[in-house]
Amino acid sequence: QARRARGRRGGRQQQPGSASGSGSGSGLGSGSDSGSGSGSGSARPQPPEPSLLRFLVCPLSKRPLRYEEATNELINEELGIAYPIIDGIPNMVPEAARMTRQKAPAEGSERP
Amino acid sequence: MHFGFQTVTEEERREKIYQVFENVAKKYDVMNDSMTLGIHRVWKDILVHKMNPCPGTLLLDVAGGTGDIAFRFINYVRSVRQRQLQRKLKHHQNLSWQEIFESYQKDEFNSLGDSQVVVCDINREMLKVGKQKAEHLGYSEGLSWVLGNAEELPFDDDKFDVYTIAFGIRNVTRIDLALQEAYRVLKPGGRFLCLEFSHVSNPLLSRLYDLYSFQVIPVLGEVIAGDWRSYQYLVESIRQFPPQEELKVMIEDAGFFKVDYENLNFGIVAIHSGFKL
Repeated sequence: QARRARGRRGGRQQQPGSASGSGSGSGLGSGSDSGSGSGSGSARPQPPEPSLLRFLVCPLSKRPLRYEEATNELINEELGIAYPIIDGIPNMVPEAARMTRQKAPAEGSERP
Repeated sequence: MHFGFQTVTEEERREKIYQVFENVAKKYDVMNDSMTLGIHRVWKDILVHKMNPCPGTLLLDVAGGTGDIAFRFINYVRSVRQRQLQRKLKHHQNLSWQEIFESYQKDEFNSLGDSQVVVCDINREMLKVGKQKAEHLGYSEGLSWVLGNAEELPFDDDKFDVYTIAFGIRNVTRIDLALQEAYRVLKPGGRFLCLEFSHVSNPLLSRLYDLYSFQVIPVLGEVIAGDWRSYQYLVESIRQFPPQEELKVMIEDAGFFKVDYENLNFGIVAIHSGFKL
């Protein structure tokens, strides 16, 4: 069964970023495999598993996030911060986030 | 705050622990096998058997770095699912071979029965090792990786059926916060499971265990991973960690009910369990 899984992954690799659409938690296809052997500094940014996006929220405000394909980030519009996705792994710690706006976000974003 | 037997600030502790795991990540599995003579595999098997997940379970494995619990979870639900499908087919006595073949095909895409595991760890190196292992072993379906802090989880409330933390809670700086977060992200009816080194009450065994811990383990650490300091930290942190009863109270304080623990190997390791009602 494991071998078959690998085969299927290979087949789907042609459509990066496309949501698997079936809604089941199978997470096949998009994103996180690096069939070419994990290179340093991915030439093509790996999007996260679509199933994972259902669960992720901002660790600070626990509010939903928007996936931005252009920069491969998860964005919290309210607080104006963006969490990077590195090697297909979302980096959901506030230290790693960058501000998307010039001015600082509201006090609510300060960690207690 | 303590870092093993040293006294440090909270920030220093986080930093030092991050470095420990950054250093040991690549040798983590090898060291586990050497230090525990492979017994850690049995402990983890017992944890997943105790969990007894059915297909469709949503698991959050925190501090799950190299994926040991996640892989076991996937294997377990896969085999339960297999048996489910076989039983289903046995009851359909009048199907043609074509129909039976087709039902295998259809269910092939759901070999996990919609079960899912999210592995969350604060250390990038550990996650990298875990992800590589997964690719190497052929695990892809139903598995995802997130870099996150157990004290501040990036997940919404009431989402997961089971929360596990295996040999991780000892390294969290604010255990109370981690337990509160665990409670928050579990669905009502969800289960908290913690596998961790604990305290041996038998005095003779305790002495032997101390001897082994302080004399053998750091040496193994130096020989195998080139890093005795990290393993010195490991054995010290085990001694600093609250014993079974105290951890039980902390878990209850976070809101869990029916909190219970099971000693393995006379308390060298304990599994704590609690439910969110």
